[in-house]
Amino acid sequence: MTMRTRAAWVALMLALGFPSLASAVAVGGSLYVKAKNTRVMESPSPTANAVVILQPGEQVKWEGADAKNKQWHKVKTATGKKGFVFQSNLSTTAPDMELVVEDKGKRKVNPAGFVASGAAVKALSPGAVEYGNKKGGDHKQAVAQLQSLEKKAKGVSTADIAKHVTEAGLFPVVGAEATAKSGASKGKSKGGT
Amino acid sequence: MRAHWKTVALAGLGLLASSCKGVDWTRVAQKAGTVAKDSASATKERASCEKLNVEPTVTEEYAIGSAMAIHWVQGAGGLMAPTDGAKGTGVHDLHAYLNVVGKNLGAQSSRPTLEWTFGVLNDDQNFNAVSTPGAYVFVTRKLLSELDNEGQLAGVLAHEIAHVVLKHSIQQYNSAKVSLCKTAVTMEAGFPGSGQLIASTDSGGNLDLDGDSALLGSLTEKVIELAESGNDQEQEYAADQLAARMMISAGYDPNAYLVLLRKTTDSSSLGSRHPKKADREKRLVTFLAGLKPTQGQFAELSLEGLHNPPLKPELVAALKSASRGGVAKDGK
Repeated sequence: MTMRTRAAWVALMLALGFPSLASAVAVGGSLYVKAKNTRVMESPSPTANAVVILQPGEQVKWEGADAKNKQWHKVKTATGKKGFVFQSNLSTTAPDMELVVEDKGKRKVNPAGFVASGAAVKALSPGAVEYGNKKGGDHKQAVAQLQSLEKKAKGVSTADIAKHVTEAGLFPVVGAEATAKSGASKGKSKGGT
Repeated sequence: MRAHWKTVALAGLGLLASSCKGVDWTRVAQKAGTVAKDSASATKERASCEKLNVEPTVTEEYAIGSAMAIHWVQGAGGLMAPTDGAKGTGVHDLHAYLNVVGKNLGAQSSRPTLEWTFGVLNDDQNFNAVSTPGAYVFVTRKLLSELDNEGQLAGVLAHEIAHVVLKHSIQQYNSAKVSLCKTAVTMEAGFPGSGQLIASTDSGGNLDLDGDSALLGSLTEKVIELAESGNDQEQEYAADQLAARMMISAGYDPNAYLVLLRKTTDSSSLGSRHPKKADREKRLVTFLAGLKPTQGQFAELSLEGLHNPPLKPELVAALKSASRGGVAKDGK
């Protein structure tokens, strides 16, 4: 890549919201929800009931870390609900929401609606399938293997992830469900508790 | 341990270099030189090719990523298939496990809504990991067999996720678009898909690759050619740092990443642009040492409560079974 091309690329990435250095946010400031199925809990614990579940790109007001469990943070949602969110679920910078081409720059995407829609769903693209099948032989076999793999990958749910995280003692970041319901999971995952 | 961790955004390098049997771009370029449109309009058209250096749409990214994925899988001798595992363990479980670990990290990346797909290349010779735009990540059987814990697995996957999130491979895709466009406007006769490529310089620079598999093929083979030179040092350092951040976010101890780096060897086959592992380790240690919260400000990461769980027994069993050369007969 020439120097000129690289400079143009850097300018493009900055203009299009390339991930940048985190900015400072103080108490009272806004944070972005980073992870899928981010649970706002009644108390600072992964086994508490979820007040509401948020999706990447939604904003909350930061009201500071819990005094005892410092990896849990008090937040107030856009609809006024209050609760505790695990540290890794929040970011000072907005995530990339992968707008489809028709939406680019023309409208704001509702994060929860976007995640629930087909816009976030990918499959081996039709053009690539045609390209691979036309080449035939090993390429055609690779197409079939990838389609099978994608089916397997899509079958791995957020509930599967949450179950593994609990068993492995990792942080309770990705919630099992996209909507809150009473009697939340009573797993034993870590998380500064 | 002799191993090459060729963590590059796209390039399978030695794995796949010989598999590219499509358009020979060197010959195309030579031909272009002999039949060049020797005119001022050609110079102007070449300059207009820079208009193709725009962010691809998601569908465009999915298309080029899908075609790249087909190339990597084909070149590596396919994916590890269900019948390559032992009875009762199975690669279905191995692939499911890989996707659980990978999708957990992807869901916490700055591209959480991408549909991430993780697979095992059926290659027991090269210690390698690759990724493509549109969120396909592959690791080789060889690499998996040399991991000590899930933290190291998370480290490999997080590094490749970082390349996708940071759009390093999109840079190569855009370079390919511009480069092929300049070749196309110079040639009297075009190549497959060159018509749309040139026309797109006047229509925003994005391409309909799903509607033109010939152009997709031309671009894919050009991107692979560019990818074989690997990522530059700054891209690797950035991917290392973002990978460590993702590991900490998920609860993994990033020291596993440092151990992983030490497993690699500095190889000339990685290209002169690829950084030495000692430099990568030094930079990462400095980065981790600087992760201290600022009083009164929200800190995205903390180093409390991190650890590295063991690998799932299913993964270890499936790999051992495959390495013994035993191919299960569907449980019979």
